[in-house]
Amino acid sequence: MEVLERQVLDSTPCGVLAVDREARILFINRSLAKAFGLDPPEWIGRPAADLTAIIQSRFECPENFALCSGLDPDDRRALSAFLEFRQRNGEQVLHVREDTRPLRSSNGAIRGRIYVYTDMAREKEIDRMKSEFIAIASHELRTPMTSIKGSVDLILSGYAGDISTDTQELLEIAQKNCDRLIRLINDILDLAKIEAGQVRLNLERLDLTEAVQRSIQGVQALADQNEIELVLERPAELPLVEVDKDRIEQVVTNLLSNAIKFSPPRGQVRVALEVVDGWVQCCVQDQGSGIAEDQLQRVFGKFQQLGNSARKGGTGLGLAISQALINEHRGRIWVESKLNQGTKFVFRLPACADIPSPS
Amino acid sequence: MNLSKILLVEDDPDIQKVVRMSLKLRGIKDITVVENGEECLAVVGQVQPDVILLDVMMPKMDGYETCRRLKANPDTRGYPIIFLTAKAQQFEIKRGIQEGAIGYLTKPFDPMTLHEQIVAMLKQNAEKKP
Repeated sequence: MEVLERQVLDSTPCGVLAVDREARILFINRSLAKAFGLDPPEWIGRPAADLTAIIQSRFECPENFALCSGLDPDDRRALSAFLEFRQRNGEQVLHVREDTRPLRSSNGAIRGRIYVYTDMAREKEIDRMKSEFIAIASHELRTPMTSIKGSVDLILSGYAGDISTDTQELLEIAQKNCDRLIRLINDILDLAKIEAGQVRLNLERLDLTEAVQRSIQGVQALADQNEIELVLERPAELPLVEVDKDRIEQVVTNLLSNAIKFSPPRGQVRVALEVVDGWVQCCVQDQGSGIAEDQLQRVFGKFQQLGNSARKGGTGLGLAISQALINEHRGRIWVESKLNQGTKFVFRLPACADIPSPS
Repeated sequence: MNLSKILLVEDDPDIQKVVRMSLKLRGIKDITVVENGEECLAVVGQVQPDVILLDVMMPKMDGYETCRRLKANPDTRGYPIIFLTAKAQQFEIKRGIQEGAIGYLTKPFDPMTLHEQIVAMLKQNAEKKP
């Protein structure tokens, strides 16, 4: 290896390791060697298993530690994983990201594998601080809202005696906006949790039709109020999907509520379920005024209230949350729309047969 | 389902008032209010409430610890506990139930249905008992 190349690799704070097709060490940089008190030149040509044995003697290694798993030399995949190493006789915990991909010769042939290890201690600390912030913000915002909402609701109930029509009207405005603020607080915290990776999906295999039907039941009152007909189209049989039932219902409910709110009275909102190339697809289509092409890119952004959606009680976070949740399920979500031709929100989830087994 | 005596453990005076008024609206007048877990443990035997409404974030002793101590004491473990708290994350709700509460209500709560929600939780708990 050229001197400059070695100096560059030795100067990087990441640990770098290259192995040949027989998993013998071709290169180990200074950062990685230093972390385990090794002398790099002595390690060239030795099996990578000797290095993992040292690591295993000091730390409990996670199951997804690729260097330990003996990847096939012809495996072309680039893999990335977050690893947690717990010290065997101590309390130290290392948070590391492992990136690995094939090491190719100049002619493109795979001559081994390269592994890069990045210290994630700072990111982990930021995650912890973010969690703490979410917990504190949640408590500090909800407590005063409880007093405001409770007081307004009680006055409106007549608890404190009769009130004039004007007072009632003003308090109803306060009540409506209080409820909106509560929805906003919930949505902000929900999105922050999803983005911080703090939402644990309770995955179960189910027919997406069940979740969609429950969501339809949930928004039926809103549809009736707006004189909107809800129509469900589905095939006789649908492959199962592995999802968190509540979270998928949350997504469908959000798409349906938007479709209802943006549809003209006596309009129709159609929900169509189908199978497309190994995916189960759900499409929610309204007959509203549509979205201009230059605004389509923005719909999944945070606080993107299109048209008069703020006046319709939206928080501007529903679609951002829906997108984050579908991504968490390894699915896809997108929008199709043209002005005056309605809007179609579509999401796809991998059908169970296509979910690779954990092995 | 007898619900006439309530012990409210809550440090925020405004929320104390809202809870008190909301329950009074449904005819419940016997509401004892204390401000933290220590005070709750001190008075619970004397009050003998039909239900304890317990906040989580409080000075001196938080709600989880209070619940654990109430459940660890044979004299107090029979009092039904419902958390009434701003701690609304899934793991917090799970923890509250694991500590032995029969229910978990999150703030902001609806003062117009608070009574019904408490009664429903008490009924559900009574049905579970052999």
